[in-house]
Amino acid sequence: MRRIIDNDLLTFVSRLIIGGIFIYASFYKIVEPGTFARSIWYYHMVPGSLINLMALILPWLELVTGLALVLGVYYRGSVLLTGVMTVIFIVALSTAIAKGIDIDCGCFKASKSASGSAWSSLIFDIGMIVLILQLWFSRSRKWMIRGSD
Amino acid sequence: MVVKQAVILLLLAVILGLGVNVVSPTRIAYVGEYRSITKGGEPVIPPDADPGDPEFIALDMAIMDHQAGDVIFIDARDPEEFACGTIPGAINIPFDYLPDGDLRPYLDSAMSYPEEGQRIITFCSGEECDLSLHMGRNLQAEGYTNIAIFFGGAREWELAGLEMERREKCDE
Repeated sequence: MRRIIDNDLLTFVSRLIIGGIFIYASFYKIVEPGTFARSIWYYHMVPGSLINLMALILPWLELVTGLALVLGVYYRGSVLLTGVMTVIFIVALSTAIAKGIDIDCGCFKASKSASGSAWSSLIFDIGMIVLILQLWFSRSRKWMIRGSD
Repeated sequence: MVVKQAVILLLLAVILGLGVNVVSPTRIAYVGEYRSITKGGEPVIPPDADPGDPEFIALDMAIMDHQAGDVIFIDARDPEEFACGTIPGAINIPFDYLPDGDLRPYLDSAMSYPEEGQRIITFCSGEECDLSLHMGRNLQAEGYTNIAIFFGGAREWELAGLEMERREKCDE
């Protein structure tokens, strides 16, 4: 088990996948913060006064951590942040499903109308957590700009 | 070490997020104005509402219209949700199943050919769904003139202790 977790190639591929997903997910949100803010509003979990700040900062945090992970800079810090963000997304999605909120998750693109993709997004996020845990415990530091971190 | 790295990345994101917004062509206010809690007397207005949208009405107004009896309530949700519980007397026109092309004959038929100026109120579950908004816009585009959107929806209605019409028993 240890050998699998520490595998250089696996760790590298996991970094590319998780980092890539975060970079990709950040694009529409950075380009259309207003649309993303509305997606947040529909979750009804963030106080109104904080919605826009979250809509402005969260996409950049996704981009910055995604890049850090792919490049191998501040490795442990970026793995921690992707993990925390994914857990928050899972909690938000589960709460939305439990409350019967029927909306597009707002994860990757602007949603124009209601469509129940919350379940598939939740399963996707749980898969991401598995890879993030592997990255967290992996001792491989190959193909990183600052592998010593 | 880990926390320090995370904080640096976070600060970088805060600076970029708040900074880029200053020059962004799609900039938004740092503090938005959103109303998310309903108190009956005030209409719930979704943030994607446009100035040209039909009127958004509060629970009080929806109750008055309902009591008046000559108002068509349209539940824009899917038939399964409609069956689980809706405003009594509401008809179900699922937004997701609207046909392509000319909508007017379809809508006229679904509403049993309403008279010109007939008051129509659209709603769905409540604040977490926007089907009522889209249905209201479609009705407006099709030339209906007296439309309102009750965005608080079935949930606000039920939370106020008002009677619900249930066709099926459903798990919550």
